[in-house]
Amino acid sequence: MFAVEFQKGAMAGHDNSNGSTEKSTSGMDDLPTFNAENMQNNMKVILYSRTFMAIIGGVIAGILGLTSLTGFIFYFLVMAITSVALTAKAKFSIHSYFDSWNRVLLDGFFGGLMSFVLFWTYPCLL
Amino acid sequence: MAHYQPNKKNKTSSPKLAVQKIRREKNQIRSKKKERDLSKAKMAEDLVLDTAIRDWVLIPLSVVMVLIGVLRYFVSKLMKGSSQIPDPKIVKEGQVIIRARNLRAGANYIPAKSFRARKAYYSNEENGLLHVPKGQAANPQAQMFSDPNMAMDMMKKNLSMIIPQTLTFAWVNFFFSGFVAAKIPFPLTQRFRAMLQNGIDLSTVDVSYVSSRSWYFLNLFGLRGLFSLILGEENATDDTQRMMQMSGFGMDPSKTLGAEKDGLDIVQHDWVLPKFELRAESVLRKLVK
Repeated sequence: MFAVEFQKGAMAGHDNSNGSTEKSTSGMDDLPTFNAENMQNNMKVILYSRTFMAIIGGVIAGILGLTSLTGFIFYFLVMAITSVALTAKAKFSIHSYFDSWNRVLLDGFFGGLMSFVLFWTYPCLL
Repeated sequence: MAHYQPNKKNKTSSPKLAVQKIRREKNQIRSKKKERDLSKAKMAEDLVLDTAIRDWVLIPLSVVMVLIGVLRYFVSKLMKGSSQIPDPKIVKEGQVIIRARNLRAGANYIPAKSFRARKAYYSNEENGLLHVPKGQAANPQAQMFSDPNMAMDMMKKNLSMIIPQTLTFAWVNFFFSGFVAAKIPFPLTQRFRAMLQNGIDLSTVDVSYVSSRSWYFLNLFGLRGLFSLILGEENATDDTQRMMQMSGFGMDPSKTLGAEKDGLDIVQHDWVLPKFELRAESVLRKLVK
């Protein structure tokens, strides 16, 4: 638990530092430039937050006693909420932080699913 | 109890009636059997799993897998720490590639003449930095045989991944096979029975009841996310790198050099600085408004 919380804090820190250091649409409008390191950092942040949300969502789904389809719908909901939250974190200007919407919407979606299923099963054992 | 009473009455009544009654009894017994079967099926729907299974199989298995993952992470870190100094030639090639990439990314910020000069420096056919003469490209396999360190390194990496997995799998198979271990909260189709209920020869048990082996696999895949959270991203990238190395059997530097050279060759140069005043003007006008 401690590790997860620490991770979250670090994540927020990364995000904040992004806000100031992120270099994005300089140059012409038709000439986007990206700082590869910052991009990678942002992707990492997305991956972390998705995994974190998948695990937390799994635990919540298990405690609520969701089964079969409702559980998977819950996962979709959680991921949608995460996407919205990430967009809000990027101040709704996705293209100054990421090169495409797919990064925010889809990255880490299926990777999180396995974690979700596992942590969904844990509370069912009790 | 009810069907014993007619039995007693049978003794006093006629044989015909007795036959009928016996038939009725048989029917009753049959229907009772059916009821029992039905109740059995209902029992199968919500099996009660012993809490001892949870305490002595599922939780220890999860804990062991988490601990093995952490241990593997630190062991691989230790092995990496003691690794040898990288070959200067490879480092040099890597740096050249990074420089060429930077040139490609920033091509439009320098005048055409400077770009052409730099391009020639990297990719001319005689002594360009990215140019690899034909035939001189080292065969990675041959290189590996000449450099035992490289082979050792790769073997260590592979072993540190494969050994714990095989050991855990063998352990699970040996100790925890042949019984229903857990119930997963979503139903699966009959096709998954062979996979999930390996070692349980019961066709009436619902497929959402799984054996310990599938619990192992669930942990194996599900804990990856947890590891990337508690161990940092190094763990995750390590795995992908390992995969790449396994598939490509080491990275071929001459190939990446050639790819970078091709990339440089197709860059369309378009100097953007002359247009920058226009852009600055528009931005400033926007600000003033």
